[in-house]
Amino acid sequence: MTRFSHLRRPKGRRAFRLPASAAALTVSLVMIVGLSSAGSASAAPVPKVGIICTNGVDGPSANEKVFDITTQTGYISLPDGNTAFMWGYSAGHDDFQHPGPVLCVNEGDTVTVILHNTLPAQTSISFPGQTDVLANGSPAEPEPSGGGAVTSLTNTASAADANGVGGGTVTYSFLADHPGTFLYESGTDGEMQVRMGLFGALIVRPTMGADYAYNTAEDQFDSSEEFMVLLSEIDPYLNAAVEAGKNFNMNRYHPRYWLINGRGYPDSIADNGASWLPTQPYGALADIQPYDATNHPLPGMARYLNVGTEDYPFHPHGNNGLVVGRDGQPLEGSGGEDLSFEKFAINIGPGQTWDVIFKWYDAEGYDPVGNPVNVTVPGLANQEIGVFYSGSPYLGTQEELPPGIQTVNQCGEYYIISHNHALFQITSWGANMTGPITYMKIEPPQPNGCVN
Amino acid sequence: MSDAMRVDRRQFLKYVGGAVAVAGTATWAGKMLLPQSVNAAPGDFDLFLAGTDGWMYLPPTPAIPPFHPDNLAPSPFTTYIFGFRNITGLTDQQRTNQKNHAQHSAPLMWANQYDDALENEFRVKLTNLGLELRPDLFDAHTLHWHGFRNVIPFYDGEPSGSVAVPSGREFTYVYRPRDPGTYMYHCHVEDVEHVHMGMTGLVFVRPLQETRLTPGDNIGGFSKFMYNDGDGSTGYHREFAMFLSEVWAESHWADAHIQLPEWSDYRADFSLLNGRVYPDTIAPNAPINAAQSVHALAVETDGDGYLMAPDGHPELQYQPQSSLVRCNEGETVALRFANLGFREQAMSLTGIRMRVVGRDATPMTGRDSTDTSYETDTINIGPGESYDVVFQAPAHSGGSGHDTYMLYNRNFTRSNNLAPGGFGGQATEVRVFPGGTISDQQYPNDWGV
Repeated sequence: MTRFSHLRRPKGRRAFRLPASAAALTVSLVMIVGLSSAGSASAAPVPKVGIICTNGVDGPSANEKVFDITTQTGYISLPDGNTAFMWGYSAGHDDFQHPGPVLCVNEGDTVTVILHNTLPAQTSISFPGQTDVLANGSPAEPEPSGGGAVTSLTNTASAADANGVGGGTVTYSFLADHPGTFLYESGTDGEMQVRMGLFGALIVRPTMGADYAYNTAEDQFDSSEEFMVLLSEIDPYLNAAVEAGKNFNMNRYHPRYWLINGRGYPDSIADNGASWLPTQPYGALADIQPYDATNHPLPGMARYLNVGTEDYPFHPHGNNGLVVGRDGQPLEGSGGEDLSFEKFAINIGPGQTWDVIFKWYDAEGYDPVGNPVNVTVPGLANQEIGVFYSGSPYLGTQEELPPGIQTVNQCGEYYIISHNHALFQITSWGANMTGPITYMKIEPPQPNGCVN
Repeated sequence: MSDAMRVDRRQFLKYVGGAVAVAGTATWAGKMLLPQSVNAAPGDFDLFLAGTDGWMYLPPTPAIPPFHPDNLAPSPFTTYIFGFRNITGLTDQQRTNQKNHAQHSAPLMWANQYDDALENEFRVKLTNLGLELRPDLFDAHTLHWHGFRNVIPFYDGEPSGSVAVPSGREFTYVYRPRDPGTYMYHCHVEDVEHVHMGMTGLVFVRPLQETRLTPGDNIGGFSKFMYNDGDGSTGYHREFAMFLSEVWAESHWADAHIQLPEWSDYRADFSLLNGRVYPDTIAPNAPINAAQSVHALAVETDGDGYLMAPDGHPELQYQPQSSLVRCNEGETVALRFANLGFREQAMSLTGIRMRVVGRDATPMTGRDSTDTSYETDTINIGPGESYDVVFQAPAHSGGSGHDTYMLYNRNFTRSNNLAPGGFGGQATEVRVFPGGTISDQQYPNDWGV
């Protein structure tokens, strides 16, 4: 039994916030920018889909990138209409967000992460997959309790008071010496703190360029089609107990919600930064163009991360992803042999990351004039119409739907689903067909009538 | 899409052998094939499946009151299911009769790899017979071929992105299977429920290397293969599908009793191999019409179209598929695993090494043709994954009868029937006989008797 009464905060005060003037001063420290642009933060529009990188600011040393990360508390919306109280990492001194910011650096960068703690508990950041991590300039190391048993995987920042003031700071740094997708997460009381939301993704871009998964020519992808698939879970009783400062028996931990990029379907396919999800900025819709040898020859890239506590078998329909790396290591033999493999079920274990390049190819080239689908298409009354369906089998074609049938299809684009195939997990405490579901949206050839 | 656009795409595809590589790019593009139209008539089909509800049998003791056995179940059955049936060749009246006569697992089906010389589409017609016990649900059904590459939504069976088949209606799914290997299929409507209720089965694709082989010829001593390996390294003499699924008794009971389960309470009370638990897994196949088993196991039916039960097992009438592996010593045996349960399984074969030659309908080779196949005695297989393995049957130990090797789920909670001691659940036997004892297979999972 873990007691959380010491974590309690005064009623009506969800999260400590800096005075506006202080926030204005710190905003320059963190830049939330578009996919690959390096422009300034403040006014950069957020791309509707794809990974939103948080790029650090240049530090005093060459190739040093500095990130300020603040722990915050807040609420997220869940598909059944419920909300959950969460802990989270925020960029700079921003308000709460979930999950934490996606930290993007380049191979060879020295990465400095300054953790500012406003939680009423000791906390930390561990960087699985990184070596020789320093904390406040000395080698980071596990912290023991008074009795000698380890209580934190890495050096902690001290707890703040009940108002979120006076918490400690730790400066972590490491050399990002190999490219790939990594987690960062609380190293302290992980079974509680990570489950409360203290996690995020770290992307290390290879020397060959930001549009390569690894330093291999074959692993190039189209930078406009890079996506994150960060999978997590929530037991609402744990979150409620932490919020209320009550006890929670961890042996009774039992997830009721499963999320993708911190959202459950259908929120998962809303744009990045959707106004109605103010604390859940990351969408999961994969908006892609079909493979085309001339106009669109490169595949897309999906970066999978599992921060939950059991395997998540994620299944993208209609394409076998090519797994080119796991846990920030390319799938290569010692002699450079290619050990990559295609999968239609990405079965990703707790704490793992998988790097997958993928594409969708119009293999049959069906079109209504020269190559129609070779079946008798039932009349409209004899079909049940899906909410994303265009009314037509053909990419780029829309046809009339029965009266009263609503579709969100804009220009005959295709929607092909991706979802966790442990199917009891695509539910939200009674709301079925929600949770870790997203879609691959396939654009008809350009120009098309879709509004992007 | 304009004609010009389609022609543009075609002219940049370069044809190489049975597959097509993409010219002018060093990056991974996967296999590319030339779009092509074929000559089948729009109404043709190779298989006709029906979706409906029904009942099946699981060991009634120990009971899980009040969920198992279900008090609504007609004797000798215990468990309410949704499922598919192979109704190819039945009359209209016989088809209609099959409402409330679903089977689990769904009919094992297979297709030949698309051959541009033959234009051999695989065409599966689906009808929805309705749910006899739950007319209030009026659920549509679909056919989702799990793992089919580059599918268009129209043929994917995911109902939000395309269309579904309401009760009493029909729809034909057309596939040009470009990639051999083992897949699975299921209904994708309300799929948390419809998958778990049993609308799940295995489908595999035979490679061109096999379908184009001149009768009497062989590659590496084999005439049947899992992949286009070029050297017979995925060849085999006998093949057995091992389809993995689960039953959470409460959710099946809930569907029969107009209740809703809370899916986050999910548990696998029973873990099934080809729709049965051990020792039922080693009971015979239902009588199979080998001549009609061209694209799926065709179970013999009576005059009303009802399934004939396996010999001596009336309780397995709606679980027609056996998992017993029977082979002669020295033969190479192919096992095709696919998992549509909701939990990861650990299928172990004692005393015989298995070689993994494919996963998720992909041969074990890197992009530079590095052989990544490997030997193991346990297949860890997650929900939605497939594994293709081969093993060589050991020499017979002598004497009469067969040698027995156990194939079971090493996660012991999945290889019991809720009763302590003894095997159950996801377990079966591999029986090795002296050379020449067992006849050639007439269809997959055939005992060769």
